[in-house]
Amino acid sequence: MSNLSGALSIAVGALQAEQGALTATTNNVANANTPGYSRQRPVLIESDPIVLGSLTFGSGVTLQKLESLRDPILQLRIQQETQQQGQLDAFVSALQQTQVSFTSSSNDLGTQITNFFNSLDQLSTAPTDSSLRQGVLIAAGNLASTFNTTADNLIQQRSSLDLNVTQAVGQVNTLTGEIAKLNGQISDLQNANHDASAFIDQRDVLIGQLSGLVDVATIKSDNGVTLTTSNGTALVAGNQSFTLSTQTDPSGLQHIFSKGADITSKLTSGSLAGLIQARDQTIPGLLSNLDSLASGLAKALNTVQSGGFDLNGAAGGDLFVAPSASGQGYAASIAVAISDPALLAANSDGSAGSNGNAVLLAGVRNQAVVAGQTATEFYSNLVFGVGSDISNGSAELSASQLALQQLQDQRGSISGVSLDEEAANMVRYQNAYDAAARVVTTVNQMLETVINMGTLA
Amino acid sequence: MSSIRVNPNPTPDLLAALSEVTQQVNTATLQLATGSRINQPSDDPAGAAQLTQIAARSSQVDSFQKSTSTISGLLQTADSTLSSVVSALTRAISLGVQGATGTLSDADRSAVSQELSGIQTQLVSLANVSYQGQYVFGGTAVVQPFTADPTAASGVRYDGNNGINSVVIGDHYQLQVNVPGAQIFNAAGAGVFQAMNDLIVSLGTNSGIDTAVAEVRAAFDQVTTQRVFYGNALNQIDAQQAFLSSEKLNLSTQQNTVASADPTAVASQLVKAQTAQNATLAAMARTGQTSLFDYLK
Repeated sequence: MSNLSGALSIAVGALQAEQGALTATTNNVANANTPGYSRQRPVLIESDPIVLGSLTFGSGVTLQKLESLRDPILQLRIQQETQQQGQLDAFVSALQQTQVSFTSSSNDLGTQITNFFNSLDQLSTAPTDSSLRQGVLIAAGNLASTFNTTADNLIQQRSSLDLNVTQAVGQVNTLTGEIAKLNGQISDLQNANHDASAFIDQRDVLIGQLSGLVDVATIKSDNGVTLTTSNGTALVAGNQSFTLSTQTDPSGLQHIFSKGADITSKLTSGSLAGLIQARDQTIPGLLSNLDSLASGLAKALNTVQSGGFDLNGAAGGDLFVAPSASGQGYAASIAVAISDPALLAANSDGSAGSNGNAVLLAGVRNQAVVAGQTATEFYSNLVFGVGSDISNGSAELSASQLALQQLQDQRGSISGVSLDEEAANMVRYQNAYDAAARVVTTVNQMLETVINMGTLA
Repeated sequence: MSSIRVNPNPTPDLLAALSEVTQQVNTATLQLATGSRINQPSDDPAGAAQLTQIAARSSQVDSFQKSTSTISGLLQTADSTLSSVVSALTRAISLGVQGATGTLSDADRSAVSQELSGIQTQLVSLANVSYQGQYVFGGTAVVQPFTADPTAASGVRYDGNNGINSVVIGDHYQLQVNVPGAQIFNAAGAGVFQAMNDLIVSLGTNSGIDTAVAEVRAAFDQVTTQRVFYGNALNQIDAQQAFLSSEKLNLSTQQNTVASADPTAVASQLVKAQTAQNATLAAMARTGQTSLFDYLK
């Protein structure tokens, strides 16, 4: 092969290889901003040498393949951290709205409780004064309606979280469907020994999005990837996806089912888990605490009220509509039972001017009415609980965001497109192409020389 | 090519940094505007819970203060009324002593007796004094406590009761705010109306005037003794008001300690955060402006 036509074919091979390498650069530049794109690198290898007698000649260059640069382990870590972040983000933003009801203001629950007891204090200084009696009823009404609004806000929030759950399940199903389709395409291409990079990148992006929603465990197998939740519920196997469905439970909330099994409480991360944690644990917990507070307070006050006498000398009736034994749902429904200020049982002995029972009613302020605590203590513990849920969640969220950012940086350092690098490569490929072309020209001139050897004699 | 390949796309990192400093700017601005470093429970859960309790306590102290000023009015009315009762009885005693000298004519004694009747009427009216619609000396009854009634032995009937009211003016601090009228005006052997009645009768019959005067003196002593209660109560109110004011101050100091943002520190945090924000924005504006492509001809 050590002849001119051999040199020509090496040069042509080089022209083709450099062109192919330039294609990789072009594709990289084109996808510099494509999310999830992994940069490609041309793999150039020496062609097999040719041995002629005692001489060994190189036979040029071959573009073996274009290789995508990605780190599957890193991808897995990104997915896990995305799940963690999705859960915390959903949980913290749900509670951010909850905390508004517990933020100190002129009409928060704590203030209304104190105002109510203050009005009873005032009544005890002049138990027959009708404006003071009216003042107690107004303060009681404000207290009841603040309980109502606080509970209503929580209930509304729970329904909107419920709606979010349904939407998230819909998104999960869309994503698993697309991933299953890509799985099929990827295995078809790979079976035919083709490069499936573009589809793998797309699949990684979709798995990343899915990770934001549920806890995905990825298992690589011959026919693509198998996705399950961390408790083993199948989401995607090969080119088949398994849809999740939702069903309304007796309390009107949506539960998540997979192939007939209720997996609602089994999701451990992803925003679905965060939404469910807020919807099924935190908010119901707060509601039941509010119920206990409202019913404890109402029961204590009704008891004292029934021990006294109203302005007409009759034994006192309920001040607040009596709660049920369990008190469930009481915060949302608590209401003042009397509308006539004369019916407040301010006196303790039937003589209208006595303030004995007003003093006792006001004394409920310092009485343990719920869980061994006074109403104010119990409420301030609720405030603490809501605040610390959020501040802990936010701290974990920023840690998770930092970790995720770090991982994305790492991914970028492996798979991201650097325009400088691409420009440098382009110059290299172009120069190599120019050089190979020059070889062709030179060989051509040499061949001409050979061809013209006889004619000019 | 031994150096580590860096992430060629710094934009997400810069965006995260920008969101972080923007958050810092917002927090510092809010703290400066409200003067408080706790603007929602999550800012400091324990502090927020403490603030809730301090606010409740502070509002309760306000309520105690309001109660003390209301009942202080009641107590002052009672005290000054009893002071008038004491002067009326002093006048009655000197009239009685005058009537007992034996040098007075029947007509003179009748004049004295008439003045005493006037004093009796004045005493009944004093005993029926009310404060903001409440009878001060009627116990816990809401009817007029003393009524002139010829059928009663003393000529004055008591329709009040022996009820006592106490008002809470501090933690575990109940102050009795009234003495039933019967105890002041109708004490056995020292009843104001009985003594006055006996004196008027004795002047009419010109016998036993000295005994009757002694009875009025006893009534005078009884009223003076009972009046001490109101004086004491007013002193206690004064002391409690001073205590409540200092507690209020104390609570607001506590509130500041827990919640208040140090304006100097926050202002300098704000400046720092704003500087960082500007720097990040400038960095973002410069990234990706040039690459090697720009230098290739």
